[in-house]
Amino acid sequence: MSMNVQPDLDFIKAMKEAGGDTLKKCYQCATCSVACPLSSDTNPFPRKQMILAQWGLKDKLVSDANIFLCHQCGDCTEMCPRGARPGDVLGAIRSYAYRSLGWPTALASLCASAKNLPMLIGIPAVAIFILWLISGGMHIPTGEHFAKAGYTQFFGHWDFRLLAKNVLFIDIIMLTAAGIAVTSVYKGVSTLWKGMESSIGLKDVPYRPSVTQFVKLFLWPSVIEILQHARFKECTVNADRVKGHQPLMFGFIGLFIVTCYSLFTQDVIGIFIPSMHGPISMWNPVKLLANVSAVAMIAGIGILWMNRTKMETAGKASNTFYDWFLIWIIMGVGVTGLSAELLRLVGIPSLGYVVYYLHLISVVMLFLYMPYTKFAHIVYRTFAMAFERYRESSYIKNPLNQ
Amino acid sequence: MSDTAGNGAVLVVGGGISGLTAALEAAEVGNDVFLIEKNSYFGGRVAQLNQYFPKLCPPTCGLEINFKRIKDNRKIRTYTLTTVKSISGGPGNFEVQLETAPRYINSNCTACGDCAQVCTDEIEDAFNFGMGKTKAAYLPHEMAFPRRYVLAKEACSAACLDAVKAACKYNAVELDMQPKTFTLKVSSIIWSTGWNPYDANKITNLNYNSSQAIITNMMMERLAADNGPTRGKIVRPGDNKEPASFAFVQCAGSRDENHLQHCSYICCMATFKHISYIRSQYPDAKIYVFYIDLRTPGKYEHFREKFMADANTTFIKGKVADIVAERDGGVTVVAENAITGAKVHQKVDLCVLATGMEPALGEQGKALGVTMDGNGFVVSSPEKGMMSAGCAKSAVDVYSSGQSSTAAALKAIQIGR
Repeated sequence: MSMNVQPDLDFIKAMKEAGGDTLKKCYQCATCSVACPLSSDTNPFPRKQMILAQWGLKDKLVSDANIFLCHQCGDCTEMCPRGARPGDVLGAIRSYAYRSLGWPTALASLCASAKNLPMLIGIPAVAIFILWLISGGMHIPTGEHFAKAGYTQFFGHWDFRLLAKNVLFIDIIMLTAAGIAVTSVYKGVSTLWKGMESSIGLKDVPYRPSVTQFVKLFLWPSVIEILQHARFKECTVNADRVKGHQPLMFGFIGLFIVTCYSLFTQDVIGIFIPSMHGPISMWNPVKLLANVSAVAMIAGIGILWMNRTKMETAGKASNTFYDWFLIWIIMGVGVTGLSAELLRLVGIPSLGYVVYYLHLISVVMLFLYMPYTKFAHIVYRTFAMAFERYRESSYIKNPLNQ
Repeated sequence: MSDTAGNGAVLVVGGGISGLTAALEAAEVGNDVFLIEKNSYFGGRVAQLNQYFPKLCPPTCGLEINFKRIKDNRKIRTYTLTTVKSISGGPGNFEVQLETAPRYINSNCTACGDCAQVCTDEIEDAFNFGMGKTKAAYLPHEMAFPRRYVLAKEACSAACLDAVKAACKYNAVELDMQPKTFTLKVSSIIWSTGWNPYDANKITNLNYNSSQAIITNMMMERLAADNGPTRGKIVRPGDNKEPASFAFVQCAGSRDENHLQHCSYICCMATFKHISYIRSQYPDAKIYVFYIDLRTPGKYEHFREKFMADANTTFIKGKVADIVAERDGGVTVVAENAITGAKVHQKVDLCVLATGMEPALGEQGKALGVTMDGNGFVVSSPEKGMMSAGCAKSAVDVYSSGQSSTAAALKAIQIGR
């Protein structure tokens, strides 16, 4: 009987592309599972994930909570006797998981390769450019006007009080990007959760937590743990990463608060009090928070950038588009954002408008590609950590459920 | 026999089981042989074993007959405490510079032991891997050949040296002995430089130094040997506790890019052998063997089957990657069981690291023009007039060492005829 074996080239290619090509060197000694400070006694990783990947069992990998619990400290890679680099392989598996959980599929595969970088930048660049053209706001303002309005009339201005022209265009751009991202992530998390449940043999359980119970017992404690960077701090080889990731995360949270505030004051309160439109005073505590956060974000990503370069030079991490793309986007958002603000303060409208245009592109890239790039960890890892609590909880371990 | 042989003389570097075999094979067909040994005694690693494969004989069994053959063979000249300093020439006419380190005891010695009796200073017992001390005037081990004492002069006080000298009835103590260099002319060189146990301290995650309950497999041989530090009783170093449980950590340093890349070949069988030692003393002790793969070639497979059937011996597929010292003197070894997919924290009284074989010749071999592979093993190159034998050539057991030594001798006698 002849047998026609069809190797899954797509999976192999995806693993190679994301820096996991060393996985075939693994000989299953399980040193990594003990070296890993985050792997638990009952559910250790990454030894099992290494062999699942070698066997090409991608369906099992994509629904395995453990791949997201890995923080890629590299402690396992450091001790691996074969140079199989389990830390990098798990990163590659995550990259594959984001891609396969991502919707729409075309966008997800677009984000997987450096080859597509022109497209990845081109899509938002062209879209925003066309909207800018349509809006009729595409002309450089006078210095006086620029000082007063800042970038709030980038897409022009009309007298319709209820919805400023600029707000309309920004919303068209950002809400579309965010909408696609939120839908994608919602679908992805649902698939992941179902997969994770079936991976531990969970089908029909009589008692499930309510949404409130779920948030209170599993999700919120995970969020707190993430904020504290408790797991990051367990890493030994790459402990310096906390110094970058922590300011970056708090920078993001700060900027999120500022964005919400600004959305509310300008686009809601601004309807009734037109003077609310325009740049916020530098002495407003919210603006202060914005600036501190922006600096924290740039400093954080800068530390991560240097740390990653150092790791790669030392041969402790592989150079992948998957890792660098997110670093570049965040650096792009931070640098263009802060530069745009500085150019406004010194009053150079021409350059300011160009930089602001670049800022819009990078922000759209951050939002739109979030579910398919390394940025997706913000959602998937959080839910995987919640699932880890869930699978250890009495909902699962309770004999009533068995 | 003359030093200026040039007539097919063979230099054998290293006097362990491989060197002895190669020297005898070459001499017994009529070639002149110079057998040199770095240590003060011949017999090498085999002398340190309790039993050795394939038949689990005590080392006296194989070494004694070889020593007798060497003593009776006028073609072989032996040198202890001797190392190669430089080599010039080529196949058929090598000129080798050697140096003999001072033993401070000359050939008048009858091994009566009077010097050790009066010696007040002690040194670490290297033959027993530091488990215990020995007098600074010592016989390397019970069946040492040549049967002559050694004096570790640098470890002795002046008073001690005077006492040692005064105690000798045969005027054998020579305190002003100097290193001696000399030249040999030979046609070929056999490297049978053997191996050293891999330094367990380098395997940092196994915390070798954190507890006396962590020993190496070679220390286990010494513990089990009748002429060892405990007279053959397997007890925990330090507190002499009779262990109720044992863990074997396989591939400790072997098959590891960060340590020894090669498989050391003998450690699996050594562990099974150690289980047999343990079983003869502790029939009910719990034994846990942590392994990646078990390599028990050929007929050794039956030996494996016998011990895998033992109800109190558990085999866990998973390499130990962490060892934690416990307060009661034992240790906990940590591994992931790849069969069950759960981590194992096994507390034991005594933990044996199955450390591998590191080729002993090392970097200096390259300076002497020896061809070495990436792991430091000597590549046999008859065209250069240099052959390798035993564990200098590859990590093997005694049986295979005998084969490669005979092969090396066969090549050597064909050079410079």
